[in-house]
Amino acid sequence: MTLRRRSLLLATAAAPAGAHLGTRASGLACPNIGGTGEVHLIGNSFPAVAHIAAIAEGCARPGFKVVFKLTPQARVETEQAFGAEGRSPFDAAVVSMGVFSNLYARRQLQPLSDLVQTFGSRYRLEEKMLVRVDGEVMAIAFMQNTQNLYYRADLFAKHRLAVPADYAQMVQAAAVLQRQEPSITFPIAQGFAKGFDCATEFTNILAGLGGRFFQPGGALPAFNGADGVQAVAVMRSLMPYMTPNALASNSDDVVNQFQQGKAAMGVLWASRASRMDDATASKVVGQMAFAAAPAARAGGRGAAHLWWDAVVLPRNNPRQREATFHVLMEGLSEAAVKTGNDLGIWVRSVYSPGRFGTGVALSQRAGAPVWPSEPFFSLAHGEVGKLLPEALAGERTPQAVLDAAAAAYLRSATEKGFIRRGATA
Amino acid sequence: MKLRSFAGFVGPSVFLMLALLALPMLMTVVLSMRNCALEMELVTVQQTGPFGAHEVTTQRAKVDASGQAVQTCQWVGLEYYRKVLGLEKPAAGAGGTAGAAGAVPSPAGQPTEFFSALRFTLLYVAATTPFVLGGGLALALAMNRVTQRLKAVFIAASLLPFIITPVVGALAIKWLFRDNGLVPHVLGGMGIEVFWMAQAWSAQLLVILYGIWHVLPFAFIVFYAGLQGVPQDALEAATIDGATNGQKLRYVTLPHLMPLVVFVLMMHLMDAYRVFEPVMVLTQGAFTTSVQYLTYHVLLQEDNPYKASAASVLTIIGIALLLIPLLRKTWREQRQGH
Repeated sequence: MTLRRRSLLLATAAAPAGAHLGTRASGLACPNIGGTGEVHLIGNSFPAVAHIAAIAEGCARPGFKVVFKLTPQARVETEQAFGAEGRSPFDAAVVSMGVFSNLYARRQLQPLSDLVQTFGSRYRLEEKMLVRVDGEVMAIAFMQNTQNLYYRADLFAKHRLAVPADYAQMVQAAAVLQRQEPSITFPIAQGFAKGFDCATEFTNILAGLGGRFFQPGGALPAFNGADGVQAVAVMRSLMPYMTPNALASNSDDVVNQFQQGKAAMGVLWASRASRMDDATASKVVGQMAFAAAPAARAGGRGAAHLWWDAVVLPRNNPRQREATFHVLMEGLSEAAVKTGNDLGIWVRSVYSPGRFGTGVALSQRAGAPVWPSEPFFSLAHGEVGKLLPEALAGERTPQAVLDAAAAAYLRSATEKGFIRRGATA
Repeated sequence: MKLRSFAGFVGPSVFLMLALLALPMLMTVVLSMRNCALEMELVTVQQTGPFGAHEVTTQRAKVDASGQAVQTCQWVGLEYYRKVLGLEKPAAGAGGTAGAAGAVPSPAGQPTEFFSALRFTLLYVAATTPFVLGGGLALALAMNRVTQRLKAVFIAASLLPFIITPVVGALAIKWLFRDNGLVPHVLGGMGIEVFWMAQAWSAQLLVILYGIWHVLPFAFIVFYAGLQGVPQDALEAATIDGATNGQKLRYVTLPHLMPLVVFVLMMHLMDAYRVFEPVMVLTQGAFTTSVQYLTYHVLLQEDNPYKASAASVLTIIGIALLLIPLLRKTWREQRQGH
């Protein structure tokens, strides 16, 4: 990442972290860390992780170095480091649950049960933070996320529209706004960009329809069945009400459309909510409201998934595990959460969700499931993301595109050993 | 020069080229013919976390006695090349029933991704090259006539697109052209409504425009440097002989610049064939999938460095094929002692 971006992120995190850092000057910070050495950490570059990084790096002292690398390529670097034949250059990483599943399946993670047992009470670790697999602690979760509905409360009130509970209602509301609201040309804004964004929407809607990505008990694809085709139909039903640039619109672009008052509703990451009231960039301060993600069909559960982010330690670098654990726990402490309360949707109980922190609870109440944890899921997700825009653009039929994605997934999953050669449905 | 002195001078350079270029390329070729995969087993585990407990049936790597994941490696020959090119035969029984959950479909009959990506990549190369060469030369000629005092300012301004890192430059262009951007706003004021990322022609045009904007300064600065070495006596003689400006450009300046034209052309062909950043940032690959985008997808989404190596080798072969005419021309000129 560029130095400038890192500076910006750290500056964003610095203000709330300042209170915590203040205690460091008095010598009270990181009291559990002794000795000398180096701890190298890596995480994705978003404000909550930058906040943790600022606190973790504050644990450095003469003879003890802490380096926290913030990069948009954290997933790639983490998977390469944790899978290296030699020692991982990183002592720990911040990962999303999708990456966690991959690393766990490859047996590349260190169990943390002993460290939690010894030091857990000192850091007031809560049971809900502990990601256990068959009882063994493999990660410590600190943040959660999901997608939920953003909508312009002022416009909905003006046109006497009810908050949509499902996608069909969303399309109806969009049609009314497109006809009657002069300030809005394209009422719906949603991340349909090729790749991760559109594949994630497909995953959400497919799950909302009760569909499956894979056949039960195996890795063979099932997402190209009737539910998959229906999920694409739901996505296509939104497109007349979205900007024609939708297939290149990622989350940043969707935020921009909301902030500029050009869109009235859409499903977006809960963690982006606070940007709606950023007066330096937003023209809709105080006008956006939030609800559970709409169901894919009437009466169904919210078409979204629940995510968490966690810290993990690599199996191929146990050298500084205790010191690494202490540094991480300082960054995830109750004090850190309090000072960075509005930077993310934290797992700790001391977190106090404001107007922008309700997304996870809303989607959870609406029945959103946990993001798929199969280690081969990312392969299928990647192939869907690459090909789905062809169906959304009308270049090929949904069935043809999903079949092509299934074939591509089958090839890559076979190459990776998830499916034995020659296996078919 | 004695052989020993010659070897002493070129030895370090040859060693570095072997170590940093030839060896990695050889390793890439070797990797492209292998495949390693973990041996997986089906497991049902109980997972707990922030959202409660749930049972997951999934796969996990088998481990050996030392607790290490068991990995199997094998030679696959040219299999990955065939797969990248879309030439592999569908597995027996792979023709699925459309619409049935879990059907494994046949890719037969579809244009391969690789050739679709190759088509756009070659379009990008063909569309940007004349503008980079022509625009760079025009800018250099214009700059050559600007007064000395203004040259520094103009040169600095002209080089800006080339100095900016590609991702940042592509982001800046995207923000100009996306919804609510300056360009749609200005065009909208004139009654012209264009959604630049909404269809193939405009998305591809946008990536091509970015390519010209980003690389043209490189051609300009090289040609401008070349113009400083054009023999003034030849130009003056041409003037005395009554040559027009156009004739002086054609018969004196351009022949002098020709080696630089070939150099810029070769550099641009190599760079353009690997177009990636504007594709990724401007359109995220929608309507503009390039060869390099496919390699990126294989490496990062499919998490397959072996197949990605095959895609990389194919990219190198593609670049080599593009460069053959230029290399032949250069080789012939060298042999003729030009």
